[in-house]
Amino acid sequence: MVSELPYERLLQESLKSELKVVNAHLPSRQKSLADLLGEEYPHVLCNDGSTHLFRRKELDYLASLIETEEQKALLLPMLIEVNAGRGEMAVICPGEVEGKVISKVLDMPVTPRQKKIVIYKPQLAVIRKLLKTTTQYLFPPKL
Amino acid sequence: MPQLIKVARPTKIELIKLRRRLALATRIQKIVKDRVSILILEFLQIARQTVEAKSKLLDDFSHTYKALSIAAGYHGYIALEKELIAAERDLGIAAGLRNVGGVRIPAFELREAQRVVRGYNLVDTSSWLDQTAQLSEKCLETIVELAELQRSLEQLGREINRTKRILNALEYLIIPGLQATIKYLYMKFEERDREEKSRLKRVKVLLERK
Repeated sequence: MVSELPYERLLQESLKSELKVVNAHLPSRQKSLADLLGEEYPHVLCNDGSTHLFRRKELDYLASLIETEEQKALLLPMLIEVNAGRGEMAVICPGEVEGKVISKVLDMPVTPRQKKIVIYKPQLAVIRKLLKTTTQYLFPPKL
Repeated sequence: MPQLIKVARPTKIELIKLRRRLALATRIQKIVKDRVSILILEFLQIARQTVEAKSKLLDDFSHTYKALSIAAGYHGYIALEKELIAAERDLGIAAGLRNVGGVRIPAFELREAQRVVRGYNLVDTSSWLDQTAQLSEKCLETIVELAELQRSLEQLGREINRTKRILNALEYLIIPGLQATIKYLYMKFEERDREEKSRLKRVKVLLERK
């Protein structure tokens, strides 16, 4: 009854690499909106060595949502944490500016809890539609 | 029926190892499942945007051709061509990458698409030519946007296929295999216990006979 699966080990290896792939794009350092607005080609360096380009239109849109003095506090790209198997996501907001931005984008009041704003898929679609390049997914490696 | 994974010996150590592997596989399955759902969400959003961009491009093209034919009728082909040659310029496109759930997709942005000074003589030309130029610039913007969207759609589609294969392998092969093997090991242990019990009983009977 016991049979041998020659590709079982291969699959295990590919699964390990899968976890590396999903978080490889995270920025090595987030930049403030004020800094990005001053750059000719606004971008951040990712952990895998690649660059993540921001759309200028999105940066201008974000700048229009907040006050000029708040632009230094808004770190980009904003990270959206995907909670495995729970169907809900959380926008990580270390400051109050992120909450303000998300609230204005979603056009509804939001309450950050433990520096996170819990959102659901319909809200995620709205955020991703408006902030395509200024948000990134984060898969927490709680393994 | 799930295939059993070959274990060297049916021991408790093997069982612990298998249970660890099952826990890992289940957690990875959840992550991969979420990744697929996110990729599909992005794919559908980009597909919707592609359709919108295509219809917008068709509209823009039809408006541009109308304006161009009016301008050609007003100025004449030779004069129009002369002005258009003077208006030729290089286009600047900022190209980079952005990452969506582990998929690198291109990001293009047209630089200075709308220009105030277009190169042709404003005194000798009519407002029809200005309108044509303005509409053509709009078309260019949409073309660049469409290029990005279509490429993104291809990349995401390919990644969804790949990730789905991994998810299917996990759901229908690895996890059921691990579960079946764990069940098989439990059965083995129970059988061993029963054998042990019956052996003890037998020994007891033999000792009593003596």
